[in-house]
Amino acid sequence: MIRVQALTKSYNSILALDHLSLEVPDGAVFGLLGPNGAGKTTFLRLVMSLVFPDTGQIDRGGLPPSSIGYLPEQVYYPPRFTVGDYLTTVGKLAGLRGKVLQEAVERLLSQVGLHELSGRRLGACSRGMLQRLGLAQALLGEPSLLLLDEPAQGLDPAGQKFMRDQIVAQYQAGKTVLLSSHHLDEVTRVCTHVAVIHQGQLVRCGPLETILAPRAQVTILTGPMPLDLAAELVSLAPSVAVAEGRVTLTGEAVSRKAEVLRLLLDAGVDVRKLDEQHATLEEVYLEATGG
Amino acid sequence: MMRIWTLTLFLIRDLFRSLAGVVPLAAALAFGLIAFEYGMDQTQYFTVTGVGTGAICLLTGLLLASRANRASSYVLVARLPWRGELLAALVVGSLLITAALTLLITGGNLLAHRLTLEFPSVLWILPTWLPFWLLMATLALPLSPLAGQSGSEIVGWVLLTALLVANDQKARLQERGLDWLVQAITAILWPVNMLLSQASAGIHGRSYFLALALTLAYAGLAFGLAVSSLASKDLLWAE
Repeated sequence: MIRVQALTKSYNSILALDHLSLEVPDGAVFGLLGPNGAGKTTFLRLVMSLVFPDTGQIDRGGLPPSSIGYLPEQVYYPPRFTVGDYLTTVGKLAGLRGKVLQEAVERLLSQVGLHELSGRRLGACSRGMLQRLGLAQALLGEPSLLLLDEPAQGLDPAGQKFMRDQIVAQYQAGKTVLLSSHHLDEVTRVCTHVAVIHQGQLVRCGPLETILAPRAQVTILTGPMPLDLAAELVSLAPSVAVAEGRVTLTGEAVSRKAEVLRLLLDAGVDVRKLDEQHATLEEVYLEATGG
Repeated sequence: MMRIWTLTLFLIRDLFRSLAGVVPLAAALAFGLIAFEYGMDQTQYFTVTGVGTGAICLLTGLLLASRANRASSYVLVARLPWRGELLAALVVGSLLITAALTLLITGGNLLAHRLTLEFPSVLWILPTWLPFWLLMATLALPLSPLAGQSGSEIVGWVLLTALLVANDQKARLQERGLDWLVQAITAILWPVNMLLSQASAGIHGRSYFLALALTLAYAGLAFGLAVSSLASKDLLWAE
């Protein structure tokens, strides 16, 4: 688990992060959201120890750099190196040697769809190819933590889907992924946890469903129900409301939808319609950032 | 050690696959042609070529550091447990390139009969030049923007230039009664001057070995300064 406490970072007089505290659970896909200049890249660089905080602490759970894969926001490559050559160099820095290194490079090139381009010079690769290579180098050495700074930036829809699939694969393999993104749809699809940073401050943080829950609502239209059942439903959670012919669940009570339905049906109440309204991450994001 | 070696090979290949790679080659070619124009004996070879290749080593170190001071290094540095490994790789790279260029300069001039060397006494160039090159390679680090912080590399260049100019103007300084300054400059440059002059004279006594040890200590100091500076530096690279 990554624990960050009261992290503050400024560049000259510009405050990039302001007393930011959060925890990234093991095995989570943790999405960092925020407008340009919010401090997302700075946060990732701080976790990578590429820059240092003015105040505050970062606990990476004792992970050495070789156990962390990092994809910078804009990866620049030496143009005259070949794809295979470059990956081999990074693999050696990750501690791989000999046959293990060779197999890892070949496997990753296949995984990211670059196996036929091993001999191609980096200067002759497209943006999409380089982003795939960036992911491959981050995955070298099978790191248990992946830091991906705007992984889908500049990718076409197929490339974005590829990147999402790769992130989900890492999640399924039990890896922790910390990514920053402007693609709210991408975050909604792959992230288990979300943090919204605005002007260097953390304005929302938590599991995705919890972040979205306060704005979700379930309305169940019913026939007449006994008063004692209505009282029982209201006692389930503060955000359960019962009016004539209508049961409304909001916020965290939404997760008890099945329980409420079971109680209604068991009591023989006529359930006529169920209407669910889910908040989108975009709504939460815009509300949090005042956008 | 494997990481340092991997980085060294990467940095050398990166340098010579760029236009900047022409610079040390051109410098070595120019030195080999100009300095040996009228021939050179072993005594001159120890000092003149020692200083010349030392300058090439400094130049190479600066070029390598400049190549490493770019956004393409993020991925590499991110994998290092200690940033000093990058600096160590720069030093090793500078030494290897300088050694290769020195072999070319020496071999070319031997073949052209513009250089005469005596064996086995010529072998003293190894313990003489290696510490000197090491000093030049490590000196390049704090003088480069890679390891410099808040313009410290500019301060370093000013101090180095002032030292060399003052060393050149020692007679004038003495005329102006600045004996203390002359003594200080002499003391600072004593290890390098002594190392090269004793070696060229074929004297390898206590002074020679003391100078050798002090030269290595200078190199250690320069490396330590660079490591300390880079270790606490925010790496904000753009291409």
